[in-house]
Amino acid sequence: MRKCFYQAAEASGAVLVECKNVATAVEYIARHAAGAVLLPASPSCERVNLAEQLRRAGLDLLPVAREHAAEAAAGVTSTCFAIADTGTLVLESTAEDVRLASTLPTRHFILLDQRKIVADGLAAVEPLRQMHQQNPRNYIAYITGPSRTADIERVLTIGVHGPKELYILLLGDWSSDLLEM
Amino acid sequence: MKERSKAYQVRIDKALATPRLQQALHQFGDAYLLAREKAFSGLDFEALRQEIGEMKDDVRRHHVRYLKQFIDNAEAAGAKVYLAKTAEEANRYIADLAVEKGIKLAVKSKSMASEETHLNKALEQANIKPLETDLGEWILQLCGQRPSHMVMPAIHMFKEEVADLFSRETGRTEAADIPHLVEVARQQLRQGYLDADMGISGANMAIAETGGIALVTNEGNARLTTTLPKTHVALVGIDKLVPTLEDAAKVIRVLPKNATGQALTSYVTWISGAVPSGDGEKELHIVLLDNGRSRLAEDEKCCETSRCIRCGACANVCPVYQTVGGHVFGHIYIGAIGIILTAFFDGIDKAAELVKACIGCRSCVAICPANIDLEEIILALRETVADQEGIGSGKALVFKKVMRNRKLFHSLIRAASKVQKPLTRGERTIRHLPLFFTSLTEWRTLPAIADKPLRDIWPQQQLVKPQQKVVLFGGCANDFLYPELGTDLVQVMNHLNVQVDYPLEQNCCGIPALYSGDKETAVLLAKQNIDVLLADDPVAVLTTCPTCTMALKRDFVEHFKDDPLWRARAEKLASLTVDAAGYIVNQLKAASHFEDLSTPQKITYHDSCHLKRGAGGWREPRQLIETVGHQLIEMDHADRCCGFGGSYSFTGHPEIARKILDDKLVDIEKTEADWVAMDCPGCMMQMRGGLEKKESKVRVAHTIELLARGLREAKHND
Repeated sequence: MRKCFYQAAEASGAVLVECKNVATAVEYIARHAAGAVLLPASPSCERVNLAEQLRRAGLDLLPVAREHAAEAAAGVTSTCFAIADTGTLVLESTAEDVRLASTLPTRHFILLDQRKIVADGLAAVEPLRQMHQQNPRNYIAYITGPSRTADIERVLTIGVHGPKELYILLLGDWSSDLLEM
Repeated sequence: MKERSKAYQVRIDKALATPRLQQALHQFGDAYLLAREKAFSGLDFEALRQEIGEMKDDVRRHHVRYLKQFIDNAEAAGAKVYLAKTAEEANRYIADLAVEKGIKLAVKSKSMASEETHLNKALEQANIKPLETDLGEWILQLCGQRPSHMVMPAIHMFKEEVADLFSRETGRTEAADIPHLVEVARQQLRQGYLDADMGISGANMAIAETGGIALVTNEGNARLTTTLPKTHVALVGIDKLVPTLEDAAKVIRVLPKNATGQALTSYVTWISGAVPSGDGEKELHIVLLDNGRSRLAEDEKCCETSRCIRCGACANVCPVYQTVGGHVFGHIYIGAIGIILTAFFDGIDKAAELVKACIGCRSCVAICPANIDLEEIILALRETVADQEGIGSGKALVFKKVMRNRKLFHSLIRAASKVQKPLTRGERTIRHLPLFFTSLTEWRTLPAIADKPLRDIWPQQQLVKPQQKVVLFGGCANDFLYPELGTDLVQVMNHLNVQVDYPLEQNCCGIPALYSGDKETAVLLAKQNIDVLLADDPVAVLTTCPTCTMALKRDFVEHFKDDPLWRARAEKLASLTVDAAGYIVNQLKAASHFEDLSTPQKITYHDSCHLKRGAGGWREPRQLIETVGHQLIEMDHADRCCGFGGSYSFTGHPEIARKILDDKLVDIEKTEADWVAMDCPGCMMQMRGGLEKKESKVRVAHTIELLARGLREAKHND
């Protein structure tokens, strides 16, 4: 399943980075963010105080608000779980911050626990339903690769309105709860 | 000719004069099929579409319940739901809402429903600026055009045109470089999301279980449109309802694969209710649009259309669409589904020309992910148009006064065979026609009517103990144009110790009348044929023409579905009817009787629309051709229509038929085959005519003729 996810995610144009630990992930983000970063609040990120780690790595963290979001070079978010057959990441995005960080900046770094990969879209329905039950008002995003278009002469072009680069940082011990961001 | 028809013809001619558009649509069609095949690999498409069809039928039957469930859940989650009966109601609601909130700018992500209601115009009239953010839609908004494809709205435009439009917008000279143009769009539209106070989207699904909507997109503009502005309006057709999240997942599994060949789009966005926005809460308005959908769902003949998930694939594979584009072969919605939706959303008058422009090849039926028999529904609409407008006095005379009377019909054909002598100069084909008929032989020769029809030269058969007795339903082409095909069939069947009879009272199968909208004549012909074909209780009714096969197997049963007496007999005939190749291979299991009879030749095979996508035959003729000793070379697009389409290529749209034929001939010649084989006299007429006119060396044969040739060669060698 993991292999299936890797293949599908890469085919979708995402960059996969296997990280030994959070420090490796932080280092990778620091090297590739190319500017200020948005980090919306989420339980898994807060558990390891990711904000502090990113700052210590030399990154400039902007307050997550629409007036800053457009200036940020990158968004960093966690993810609830992933779908193997299409290489998809599922982000509970009800909090506006998550949406701002994952739509406006050029780059999007997503932290994923390798244990949280389900087989396919149908297997994703159960956790999706639980998310709905937890919170009937919700905004849930399936993200598969960077933003793309083929609207001019059917030529596939990456990065039209959303992120141009999508990085999936794979971690071993990040979060085991399918519903946790 | 009606003014409307004349105006439509002008649009066709204009499209035909744009070879670059045709080339683009052909390239897309090819790339699409490859990508789609890859996307579906390992999945059972037939099973998936069956499932979607059944799920959507369930929604249609219990629409009231699911709609209520959706509305209740959506409202409980804080959404405001408005049910709009008409386009005007939907527009008014949205415009009033914007005016009430003092909104000046609304960003939009792609929504075909908003195209349908002409929402932009309504907003502009209320002094609200709508800004399209989907790249293709924005391009079209800048040049005041409408989409020519449901999924790729600006597929008809080229990068140079886009560069000109963008240059005008930015005041700089923008290079006609696609990545650059995409970047220009990103920069130009970005501020729009931040400035707009209203975001308008469509939805791919409305999920009853959650009261939420799902959006399937690639660019990311729908995410921005539904995130940044304080008010989100989703305009959703009521046919987008699905019961559960599982059902939604099933649609998502198929939709992008069938639309563009993508495993999944970049984004699937699930939105339920009012979500946080800035310091407060976003206002979500869901406008559920009926605008003819209920009428469509209740229409006995057209209700299957409610299954549609709007993937646009029916256009991707349509030879007419590929030839004239979506602005001509469509109104708001395009392609096969567009014809039907137009009839119900905009009125039958807006659909009448489109209905007649369909060539009936059924490629849309084969690709539809919701298992909709689009062609059959279009046929029903053709009948409606014919009822309203008549089918033309010429056709009416032929169908009603001549064809219904077999003796008169056949004696007129015989008379014509004498009259044509000056044109045929004693040959089997007519190369030129005089005066105003010249256009008919400009691009293909036409077969002469045979001196003696098949019925006059039907061979005496002296089988001592035939293993089976069958009858042949010849059809007009086999009988009067290609009688040798019938005698070849007798030779082939006799070789298998099967006796074939030819009941002389058989008449036309009725398809020409039916396809022209004259169902009454078609029903009368069906009765005549059922009587005569079942008279001697044959074990099988063979056909050499797959269009006749469809008439006998499908249409006759459909004609009498409410008439128990005739229905049983029609079903009996349907169960006995089989194409000749299918009979040999599947029923007699006798392909091996033709092993290596022929000196090997290079043969390419053309799948006739009604054999492959009607009767489901395509392996059988190939097996026979290889068995008899030939080398089979597959051509590209073997199952793409040849452009014949019966009266389509004579009086309907010969200019479109000609282009479709040109494509076919290119594919044939590319194989460098000696022969092109097929199982349909109509296709034979079209391709032989085209090849002869081009003075090509490639010869045309029916599979049965190749078997008979094999038998003759073997006999000669003995």
